[in-house]
Amino acid sequence: MPTRGLIARDLRVAVENNEILKGIDLTVEPGRVHALMGPNGSGKSTLAFTLAGHPGYQVLGGSATLDGEDLLALPPDKRAKAGLFLSFQYPAAIPGVSVANFLRTARMSVRPEDLNPAKFRKLVFDKLDTLDMDPAFLGRYVNDGFSGGEKKRLEMLQLAILAPKYAVLDETDSGLDIDALQSVGNSVNALRESDEGKDIGFLVITHYPRILKHVPADVVHILIDGRIVKTGGPELADEIERDGYDGVREEVAFKAAMDEFVVAKAPIV
Amino acid sequence: MSSGATETVAALDFTPTAVTLVEVLSVLANQDELATIDEVRQDEALRREALATYEALPAPGARPHRGWKYDYANLSFDELRWTSGSVMMATMPKRPVHRLDAEDSGADEIDRPALATENAGGLFFFGATYVDAPSNVDPRVTVLPLTATTVRANEGILNGGHTHSILHEIVDWRADKFAALATAFQNCGAFVYVPDGVQIDAPVQLVFANSEAQDDAVFPHVVVVLGKNARATVIERHVGDGDPFVCGIVEAHAGEGAQLDYVVVQQAGEAARVIFSRGARAERDAQVRWHLAELGGALVRTVLGVRLEAPGSRAEASALFFNTGLQHVDLTSGVDHLVGPTTSDTVVRSAATDRGQGRYIGNIVIRPKAHGSDASLRDDALLLSKHAHIDSVPALEIAANDVKAFHGATVGSLDEDALFYAGSRGIARNAALRMITLGFFEPVIARFPGEALRDEVRTALDRKLDDATEIDV
Ligand SMILES: Nc1ncnc2c1ncn2[C@@H]1O[C@H](COP(=O)(O)OP(=O)(O)OP(=O)(O)O)[C@@H](O)[C@H]1O
Ligand SMILES: [Mg+2]
Repeated sequence: MPTRGLIARDLRVAVENNEILKGIDLTVEPGRVHALMGPNGSGKSTLAFTLAGHPGYQVLGGSATLDGEDLLALPPDKRAKAGLFLSFQYPAAIPGVSVANFLRTARMSVRPEDLNPAKFRKLVFDKLDTLDMDPAFLGRYVNDGFSGGEKKRLEMLQLAILAPKYAVLDETDSGLDIDALQSVGNSVNALRESDEGKDIGFLVITHYPRILKHVPADVVHILIDGRIVKTGGPELADEIERDGYDGVREEVAFKAAMDEFVVAKAPIV
Repeated sequence: MSSGATETVAALDFTPTAVTLVEVLSVLANQDELATIDEVRQDEALRREALATYEALPAPGARPHRGWKYDYANLSFDELRWTSGSVMMATMPKRPVHRLDAEDSGADEIDRPALATENAGGLFFFGATYVDAPSNVDPRVTVLPLTATTVRANEGILNGGHTHSILHEIVDWRADKFAALATAFQNCGAFVYVPDGVQIDAPVQLVFANSEAQDDAVFPHVVVVLGKNARATVIERHVGDGDPFVCGIVEAHAGEGAQLDYVVVQQAGEAARVIFSRGARAERDAQVRWHLAELGGALVRTVLGVRLEAPGSRAEASALFFNTGLQHVDLTSGVDHLVGPTTSDTVVRSAATDRGQGRYIGNIVIRPKAHGSDASLRDDALLLSKHAHIDSVPALEIAANDVKAFHGATVGSLDEDALFYAGSRGIARNAALRMITLGFFEPVIARFPGEALRDEVRTALDRKLDDATEIDV
């Protein structure tokens, strides 16, 4: 039986021949929440896109698996069918395609077996309600002319309706007002409390600990310059908010220097 | 954005002659029992003049329309089959209705969309022959084949009953090569009249059908007149698996406060050539809305126009085409704001795949007296394969002050971000491509009247996506 989890091993990724991810090791277990923080440009979205299979990202080495299944061998839609969901930092618009139609198509693609139209309808309306969204959204075109906050709510609506095994939320909290953040938190928590959603493993990419007040993280990782340089408990997020990344950077630099020192000394010892 | 835009310009090889016309006329004369000598003479004079005009006017494909190739669509006029059964002239009185034996004609093989459904009534043409079919048109509305009798009986309406005359006057055949051709050889047609104050819900349908057994030369002339505050929807359909040459004219007049929705769903056979000049005139506070879905045919050429002749009048044009295989579609729309304030809104969406070729010319003219007018023209093209090509040539001519005019055009390929986004939701690339392409047409489809019609267009587009061989760039 393969290890369960969304797992990256020494994952190295380039964009347009620039190496962005320089060996990522990460395991998101079912039902757990991992937060991923890091300065702008450190490679957070690159990791998210690589896991989801964006064609613009070249994998130079390493692996990515979902409950043992090799994600890197699959096209994006098969990764979704395997149970991966990505909430986009900047969701794309699909003009002319209604939200209702899109949701139905997506749900049927990911889980063809279940839900008659009546049940599907009920599911959608329940989730809309949790997210405090106007049902009129169903008739609008996907992300077309949506405000930033509306787009993020639509991402959360899709998360709730698709109920994947693992969800990567790329800055879902950015640009949300207090109420919207609350709605997003409620929606994620309602999902995590449901039968369908209790085993979802989350990778929450964020710049702010405030989302973690709504969705508490079990583990916090710090990504700097394409590497996870530090992993800790929820207190790490507050530390970052207080001190910024410089503290972590110094610590890392110090450790690196110490390692070198130790290595240099080694023959003598 | 595209390749294959060679400059070889091959004009249509039409060589109709006065001799052809005389032959046609003699066929018609033999059938003509009740036309007066005067009517026959007038008709013949008009046709001769129109043929001379056709011959004198330059073919499209020549400058100034460079880059447009008709070389897949060469047509020799002599190939066209002229049968007495398929020819019905304006000068054929008394028995406007050809009762055809359905078995002989093959008419029963045609899928007759909607004439039998949707509670719609109208006229059904098989080739150029009017086929009498049960029809439940609203009794307040006149729907007749356009014949000499019809013209004679409705003289007041057609020739000046309203402020202007209508027949042969709304579409300027003297300036349009194919309208001249259609005038010279007109062999079928329809007259739709909705009197003052009459508003009908069920659409009037004009179905032009064809089968493989009968590759006809069809020259329809449709005249639609809406009286004061009248309201109607007319649907013109082209169906069947034959490969006819259709060259027609549509003239529409919307009286004061009238509202006309004129819909064209063109699904002619895959080698058909379908050429139309369609024009409308809107009186004070009238609204004319054209809705075009050009889906079938090998060579399609449509000229669409509205003249806004009185204050408060409004034109809407919504058109789409989707060229697959070797299809060529050439669409020109024009709105002429003669006075102000008048408004117009034109939305065109075109897509091409395989080796499909398309061209759209959008004209907006705002004349010196059209103060306070508002015109909008938006056209977007989507290229789905390397060998597909669409040209877009918008032209705004504004001669009045104090007007609003908007114009926007794009030519693009599929949005990779949208494809990836749909993919990340489990939707396979092929399905996503379909979804995004259909969505692309939606702004035009959404303007078609009635959900049944909208669904019909969506289904037809979906079927075209099935048939496309080369998609994805
Ligand atoms: N398509 C691309 N072309 C060129 N460079 C790219 C591309 N995508 C990402 N990069 C580069 O890769 C690096 C990492 O980008 P990424 O979007 O992963 O950062 P991030 O950690 O998500 O940042 P942010 O917090 O600002 O969202 C950046 O330097 C970025 O400029
Ligand atoms: Mg990012």
